[in-house]
Amino acid sequence: MNETRGLSRIELLQGTLDLIILQTLRWGPRHGYGIAQMIRASSHDVLQVDTGSLYPALHRLERQRWIAAEWSTSENNQRVRVYTLTAKGRKQLERERSQWEQLSHAIAGVLAPPPPAESEP
Amino acid sequence: MSPSDDEIREEIAAHLRMAIADKMARGASREEAERAARADFGNVTHVAEVTREVRGGLWLERLGQDLRDGWRALRRTPAFTAVAVATLALAIGANSAVFTVVNGVLLQPLPFRDPGRLYAVSYLPTHVPFELPPGVDDRLYLEYRQHVSRFDRITGYQRQELTLSGVGDATRLPGARASATFFEVLGVQPALGRAFSAEEDQAGTDRVVILSDRLWRARFSGDRAILGKTITLDGIPRTVVGVMPRGFTFPAASQIWTPLALRLDPGNSFLFSVTGRLSADATPEQAKSELEAIALALPPDPRAGGIKPVARIIPLKDTLIGEVQTSLLVLAGAVAFVLLIACANVANLLLIRAATRRHEMAVRIALGASRARIARQLLTESLLIALIGAAAGILVAFAGVRALLALAPAGRIPRIDEVHLNGWVLVFTLAVAVITGIAFGVVPARSGARREPQEALGQGTRLVGGSHHGLRSTFVTAEIALALMLLSGAGLMIKSFFMMRSLDTGYDASRVVTMSVNLPQIAYPDAARLQAFHTALLERLTRIPGASAVGAVAFRPMSGAGIMGDFVVEGPTPLPHGYTVDKPTVSPGYFAALGISILAGRDFTPADRAGAPGVVVVSQTVARRLWPNERAVGKRISMQEPPGPNDWLTVIGVVNDVVQDAQLSRHSTIYLPYLQMSSWGFINQMTFVVRPQPAAGNLAPAMRGALRDVDPAVPAQALQTMDQSLMDTIAEPVFQMRLLATFACLALFLAALGTYGVLAYDVTERTREIGLRMALGATPGTVLRMVLGRTATLAFTGAALGVAGSLMLTRVLTRWLFEVKPTDPATLTAVTVVLLVAALLAGLLPAQRAARVRGLTTLLLRD
Repeated sequence: MNETRGLSRIELLQGTLDLIILQTLRWGPRHGYGIAQMIRASSHDVLQVDTGSLYPALHRLERQRWIAAEWSTSENNQRVRVYTLTAKGRKQLERERSQWEQLSHAIAGVLAPPPPAESEP
Repeated sequence: MSPSDDEIREEIAAHLRMAIADKMARGASREEAERAARADFGNVTHVAEVTREVRGGLWLERLGQDLRDGWRALRRTPAFTAVAVATLALAIGANSAVFTVVNGVLLQPLPFRDPGRLYAVSYLPTHVPFELPPGVDDRLYLEYRQHVSRFDRITGYQRQELTLSGVGDATRLPGARASATFFEVLGVQPALGRAFSAEEDQAGTDRVVILSDRLWRARFSGDRAILGKTITLDGIPRTVVGVMPRGFTFPAASQIWTPLALRLDPGNSFLFSVTGRLSADATPEQAKSELEAIALALPPDPRAGGIKPVARIIPLKDTLIGEVQTSLLVLAGAVAFVLLIACANVANLLLIRAATRRHEMAVRIALGASRARIARQLLTESLLIALIGAAAGILVAFAGVRALLALAPAGRIPRIDEVHLNGWVLVFTLAVAVITGIAFGVVPARSGARREPQEALGQGTRLVGGSHHGLRSTFVTAEIALALMLLSGAGLMIKSFFMMRSLDTGYDASRVVTMSVNLPQIAYPDAARLQAFHTALLERLTRIPGASAVGAVAFRPMSGAGIMGDFVVEGPTPLPHGYTVDKPTVSPGYFAALGISILAGRDFTPADRAGAPGVVVVSQTVARRLWPNERAVGKRISMQEPPGPNDWLTVIGVVNDVVQDAQLSRHSTIYLPYLQMSSWGFINQMTFVVRPQPAAGNLAPAMRGALRDVDPAVPAQALQTMDQSLMDTIAEPVFQMRLLATFACLALFLAALGTYGVLAYDVTERTREIGLRMALGATPGTVLRMVLGRTATLAFTGAALGVAGSLMLTRVLTRWLFEVKPTDPATLTAVTVVLLVAALLAGLLPAQRAARVRGLTTLLLRD
């Protein structure tokens, strides 16, 4: 059931999923299943994207025109909806990437061992 | 391109197939792969739905989907849908119909240029015994016209009636005398021809006339060559110079305008209506102070007798709709009550329906539909019901407006020509539909979406039910309370109507036929010629077959017009201060014709003429008041102050008091014989009365014929029975009563329907409980009493609230109530009984059904 699966999953920060999807699409057009598989593989099975988050995110990104979608036929003759990164999406990816780097840098700083305490005067 | 729902579903299906293929490639069996793929994927419906939610931009498409779903759901329950739509169609239609009238009469701007800057100007005493319409006397009007600076321009006019003769039957037309500037101030120019010139607004060169569009079409077949032609008005030939555009009938349904041609009378002054167009940079307060200042700069009028006039300016629209505004707002309030009842009814139906759909909703929630989604769908369904109801309501409104206009008393509602079902009404109806759709839908939608699936799914074995029980009871109680308030209003109006109808007028004249005749000064310049006409017409009327008695009276009984005043009594005791009487002038035979009893002395005879000793007949109250314990006959009074030796009038008879005026009250009256009347203005408007023999048919055509024989240029007016005259007089409260009664019946019906619906559902829901009670020994009688007891609780609670509400609200009706107090206990008791009986009858059917429940069999039923 939903509830039990959620427990072992790493909660993605709001907005992070968008970054991951855009990043995944940098290597070429992909369908939803393919994106999910790729995220899972490239995160060494740590990130399992819930389909209930993935598809809404794909459609939201499409509405924002960061990715484009079209129907095509897959390697085993299935009609699939394939997503492509747009130029606008590429710019967004750069933006989100640098934000992410700043954020992770900041968090790393916070989590790093504190500097030695100053002695009491 | 945005994907449709189907595409989202297809995308998900492809995802699952690929996942299954992958798992099978890794060695799983198809069955295992499918199960695992679905487990990984999660809830398909939910994913599809949240994905769809993301496409917020597609709200139109989503709305379309919701509407399709809603429509399917409504079609699955046709009985529910039909009842809900019909209820709303009636209620919304009634509201739209009343709004149509309110919009046309109260809300729409006057059909003049920039009407917001038009103000009626008045300089009159305010605290006088009778209320004067706004006006300015002739001398002050001339001052104002010359000196005001806060108005672009002011203009004077006066309503009048004119007789048009020479084109078909002679006819009496409402119209106005208007200054040359009249049309310019209003900003409306003739559609054909021109307005009056300044020269034409002078006495002597004023023989011109402007026609209304309607008169032009009806009497002159819309002939453009009418300009320059001459028509005869009150016997005076006037040249047509213009025709006004369609719909222009200001003031008060005018059909014809002649120049004001003001001529000052050294001994008298006359009041005019004055309207001004406020300058763009002036405020109403500035204009008022200026009017006050100009008036105060004039030498004081010695005749004013110390009564201080007050300058006022009133938006022109208010002077037109003043009286009718309250009346229409009361109706609007009443019809809004009907809508509230309808809303409560439909909300209850929705709650009941929601209860029967518990299973459907629970399944949908379990399958992953979000609560917001369910609430939205339920709300869409109720909006859909409201919109369908409103569409049908437009048809109801269409018929309703026609009925309203047909019922509306002729000439009593201003601007009635401007009442149309137009775009504003459609907007209003749509708004009402959306608001009511949300109003009656929101509670059921919220509670429908709140339900826990386990609760609903596990309900198969439930024994004692009662979901939304409290809510439904609240709605029914409110409905009953609202219906009672409407019934009280209608009941009071109906009682008042019967009081008016059963009014003891003092005469017996319901079948007596009246015919009013106004004689123009040009053809009948003095009293002698008027009297010759009256005598000739009376003589002809006497010869009509079927006439048993004939008479004439100055002014029309119950018309509101008449002459009142004081007089001088011979002897040491002076007239009580402030005692005034009605002074109608009558012909011999008038008392007999109208059925007024002569209590002492005699009637007038043709011998009571000019030159003979002056005589009067007094009514009983006058006799009692002036000569208590004495014989009135033989006493003398005078209408002149101080009386000369020949001014004394001897009382020759005493008659009973009668109702003569439009307020339906009895006044002290002194009757004067028409042959002794030398004042033209007292006898140029006479009403002839003919009492038919018991078996006589309609005398009106013969009376019209008699008039035509005497003078074909004079039209017959108010040719009707006295009963119709009374109905004319009370037309306004009767109109109000009919509408209130209609709305109250509708409310009563809806409230009864609502009560029935809720109790019937209660019984269905509790069938098993009732069965259990029966199995445990309850008798049909106990069950019957149980259901009726619940009905009674609802009905009594609602009735108590309704009586409290009525006591607060019926005050607004005071103005239309005749000899009935707005808190009349008998009426309140009667309507409460009616309502309780209706509610108990509504509960009786379900109660009987409950009593027929057979014990054990019902226990085996499942939902």
